[in-house]
Amino acid sequence: MERRKILSLIIILMFLSLAGGLLNLDILQGAKFRRLSDSNCIRLISQSGSRGNILDRNGEVIVNNRISYDVMIMPQDMDRLDEELDLIGRILGTGAKGLKAEFKKNFLSSSIPVTVATNIKSTEAILLGEYKADYPSIIVTPKPLRNYPCGSLASHLIGYLNEIDRWRLTKLEDYGYKTKDIVGFGGVEEKYDYYLRQEEGGLSVEVNHRGKITRVLGFEPPRNGRDVQLTLDIRIQKIVEDSLRGRKGSVVLMDPRTGEILALANYPDFNPSAFVNKRSREISGLFNNPDSPLVNRAIASAYPPASVFKLVVASAGLETKKINSSTRFFCDGSMMVGRRRFKCWARHGSEDIFQAIAHSCDIFFYRTGLLLGAQNIHDYALRLGLGKPPGFDLEGETAGYIPSPLKRKLNNFRSWFDGDTANFSIGQGDCLASPMQITVMLAVFANRGWLVAPHVVKAVGDVEIASRKRRFNAVPFRKETFDVVRRGLSRVVSDPEGTGNALAGLPVKVSGKTGTAQVSRGATHAWFAGFFPSDEPKYVICVFLENGGPGHAACQLAGKIIEAMSAQGLI
Amino acid sequence: MTRSSFFRILILVLIIVGLGVLSIYSSTYQKEGTQWQDIYKRQMLWAAIGLACFLFFSNFNYRRLWDANYFIYGAALFFLFLVFALGVIRLGAQRWLKVAWFNFQPSEFAKLAVIIFLARYFSRKSADDTSLLSGKFGIFRGIILPFIFVAVPMFLIIEQPDLGSGLMLMLVFMGLLYLTNVRLKYIIVLFAASILPLPFFWHFLHDYQKQRLLVFLNPNIDPLGAGYTVIQSKIAIGSGGFLGKGWLRGSQSQLYFLPESHTDFIFATFSEQWGFLGSCLLILIYYLIIRQGIIIAQRTQDSFGKLLAYGIALLLSLQVFINIAMNMGLAPVVGLPLPLMSYGGSSMLVTFVSLGILVNIDRTRNVF
Repeated sequence: MERRKILSLIIILMFLSLAGGLLNLDILQGAKFRRLSDSNCIRLISQSGSRGNILDRNGEVIVNNRISYDVMIMPQDMDRLDEELDLIGRILGTGAKGLKAEFKKNFLSSSIPVTVATNIKSTEAILLGEYKADYPSIIVTPKPLRNYPCGSLASHLIGYLNEIDRWRLTKLEDYGYKTKDIVGFGGVEEKYDYYLRQEEGGLSVEVNHRGKITRVLGFEPPRNGRDVQLTLDIRIQKIVEDSLRGRKGSVVLMDPRTGEILALANYPDFNPSAFVNKRSREISGLFNNPDSPLVNRAIASAYPPASVFKLVVASAGLETKKINSSTRFFCDGSMMVGRRRFKCWARHGSEDIFQAIAHSCDIFFYRTGLLLGAQNIHDYALRLGLGKPPGFDLEGETAGYIPSPLKRKLNNFRSWFDGDTANFSIGQGDCLASPMQITVMLAVFANRGWLVAPHVVKAVGDVEIASRKRRFNAVPFRKETFDVVRRGLSRVVSDPEGTGNALAGLPVKVSGKTGTAQVSRGATHAWFAGFFPSDEPKYVICVFLENGGPGHAACQLAGKIIEAMSAQGLI
Repeated sequence: MTRSSFFRILILVLIIVGLGVLSIYSSTYQKEGTQWQDIYKRQMLWAAIGLACFLFFSNFNYRRLWDANYFIYGAALFFLFLVFALGVIRLGAQRWLKVAWFNFQPSEFAKLAVIIFLARYFSRKSADDTSLLSGKFGIFRGIILPFIFVAVPMFLIIEQPDLGSGLMLMLVFMGLLYLTNVRLKYIIVLFAASILPLPFFWHFLHDYQKQRLLVFLNPNIDPLGAGYTVIQSKIAIGSGGFLGKGWLRGSQSQLYFLPESHTDFIFATFSEQWGFLGSCLLILIYYLIIRQGIIIAQRTQDSFGKLLAYGIALLLSLQVFINIAMNMGLAPVVGLPLPLMSYGGSSMLVTFVSLGILVNIDRTRNVF
C-alpha cells in the first residue's frame, strides 16, 4: 500500500482508539468513576449527640452527660498556627508545646478540625470564645461527656466508657462503629451500647481539592442515644454500697417475685469518671490492682458456697424422701466417713432438719448427703440453678461448678469417694457458686418454686423490656419441702442459737442461711443468703465477704443493710 | 472548491475554539482573583488574534515560506536559545519568553518552523531534471543530516524541559520521513537508533520526567503526588458518563481537584461536563479538520505544499492524540496543550497560522 494511505489509516486508527478509550472510561467504568468523583468532593463534619442516660427504677439519674468544651483548630491556613497555639496555651496554662504535639497527633486532613485540647473549663471556653473574631480558625465546641453524679455508684453494673479497642472494632465494624469511637466497656454500657449510643449527625459539605469548604450540601441533626432504665433502686444501692465499703465482697439484692435486681454492689469498686477524664495513673492502678476492682464479683467470680449449700442437700433429701421433717441425726462433734474423721463445728446432739439448718450442723448433712449420694445432690443443685449461668442480662457471668462422680472421672481421671460426698454435702470441695447464683437459689425458696432469671435492665428508651426478660422455670418440689426448708431458714434467725440470730432484733422478720467457706489460704469467706419479710418475701439478699471471716460477719452486714432499709421505709 | 476548504476549516475551528472558551470559563470562574476571572476573555482575545493570523496566512503565498525557511528555522533556534538565557520559569520549567504583556512559548513556534524546514528539505529538486532529490538521498543526506537539523531544536526543547514537545518534533520528523521517498530501511534504522539508547537516556531525564513515566505505567504508585493528575483526570472523564454532568456542573474541574484543568487537562474538563457524546463529537471535529489537511495534501501537486500540508496535519493529529490520550491516562503526562482548546496564546496562534498555511496551499494549488 501507498505510504500516504497507511498514514491516513494510522491517523484514523488513532482517533478511533481515543473514542474507544472514552467508551471505556465513560460507559464501562463510568459508575466507578462517578462514585470516586462524589467521594472526592463530599466530606462529613460530624457533630455528636449525647449518649443515653442510665436511670434507676424510679427514673433517678445514675449516669448522664454534661457539656464539656473542646478546643479545635481548623487547619485551613496554617500560617498563624503557632500564634494560635500560643494563645490557647496561655489561656489553658499548659503551654504551646503539648498542644503542638497534640495537633500533630490528631491532624487528619485540612477539612477536618483538629482537636488540640479536650474537656477544658467553661471559663476557659468563654475566654477563648472572646478571640473568635481575631482567630476564626480556633473553634470551641461543646461536647457531651459522660457524667457520674453518683460517683462510683453501681460502677460494676454500669461499666465505663473508653476508646474502642481493636478486638471490639473488628466485631462491631459492621454495625457502624469506627475507630476512635467511644464505647462502653463492661456492664450496661457495653451490653446496651448499641441503644445508648448516640447517632452522629453533621454537616455534609462539598470541598475543593484543598479541603476548603465550598458549599454546604446538607445537615443531619445528631440523634441522642436512648436512655436505659435499670431495675436498681438508687436508695437501696446507696445503702448497700455504704455498708459494704471497705470490705472485699459483694451484695446482691433481688426481688424474688420477678428477678429484678434492686441492688448489686462489689467492693473494691472503681470510679468510671477516671476514664472520662483520662486520669491515666488511676486507670492503670485499676488494671494492676491485685484485688481487681473492675471485676463484677457478684456474677463473675465463683466461691465455695459452704453451708448455704446445705439447703440443696436438705431439699434433695426431702424430695427423695431419704429424710423427712422428723428425721433426726445425732451430732457428737465428728463422725467417721471411710477412714477419715469429719468434724462438725460444734457438738449439737440430736437434731432434726429445722435445728440442723438453724445451727448449720455438719453431721446432719454429712449423713443426709451420704444417704442421697453425690449424683443426687448434683442433680438437685442444678435444679436450683447452680452449676450453670443464671442468665443475668450482663456479660461475664460465671457458671460456677457443681462436681459429680462422673465429671470427676471424665475430667480428672479420679474416683469419687464417700469423703468427697460428705465434703460436697456442706458445699466444700470443688463446689463453686457465684453470689448471683446463691441469690437466685434463695429466691426459689422465697417464691416457692420458681427459678427466676435475674435482670437489671427495666426499659430501653420507652420500651419496657423487663417483662420480656422475666423468665420463670418451675422447680417442681413438693410444697412440704419448701415449707420445711423455709421453717428451717426462719429458725436460723429466730432460734436463739441459730447462726443468724444477730438478725432477730430487726423490725422485719428475716429468714436466711449463713455460710463459712474454708479456703486454702487466708481467712474464711463469709456468706449470708436470705430473704425478708419472711412471710411474704419481697427481697432476697445475698451478702458475700471474700476472706471476711465467719458467716456471722456477713450476717451482721445484712443486718445493717436491712436496718437502714427499714429506717428509710423501703421495705 | 477553494472557498469550501477555507470555510469548512473556519467553521470547525470556530466550534472548537468556542467549546474551549466555554471549558476554560467553567474551570476558572470559581477561582478567586481577577486574573482567573478574566482568563476566558484573554483566550477570546487570543482567538481573535489567531483568526486574524489565519486570514492573513490563508492569503499569504506559502511558496514564500520556501524562501524564508532558513530565516524561520534560524529564528526558531534563536528564540529557543533566548529561552535559555532569559526565559520565565513557570511550573518548574523554563519554556516562556516574556514579550511585552504576554509570555511567548518558542517551542510551539519551533514545531512549525521545523515542519517548514523539513518540507523544503525533502522537496528540493535536482537542477538537471524535475525529479525529487530525496529519492536519491543516501543515509547521510536522507536521515542523518535532517536529523541533526531536527535534533538541535529538539535538544533545546527537551532541555527546557519540555519532553512532550521534543518528542513531538521527533514523531513529526519520522512521519514526514515516511512520506518522502526516503527508503524504508533507513527509517527503520533511525527508529531503532532512537529506541535503543532510551535506557541510556533514562539517566539524563529529570526526576519529574522519570516520575511521570513511572506514574504513566502505574498511576497508583503515587496517588497524591505525580499520579494525582492522571487519577483525577480519569475520574473527571469517567464521571461524566454518557451525557456528562452539564456545563458548570463538573465537580472535578470546578472544585480544582484537577490540576491544569484549563490548559493541558482541558479535555478532561470538557469531557466531565459534556460526557461521552460531547467528547466523541469533539474528537470527530478534530478528525474532520485533520482530514481536511490530508485531503488538501493529497490533491496538491506541489511537493513542498504537499509535504507541508502533511506535516501540519500530522503535527495537529499527534498533538490532539497525545493530549487526549494523556488525559485518559493512555499516555504519559508530557505537558502538551490541546490545540485550539487549551488556554495559551502561543499554541493557539501557531495552530491558526498552520491552518492558514493549509488553506493557502489549497488556494494556491488552483493558481498553478
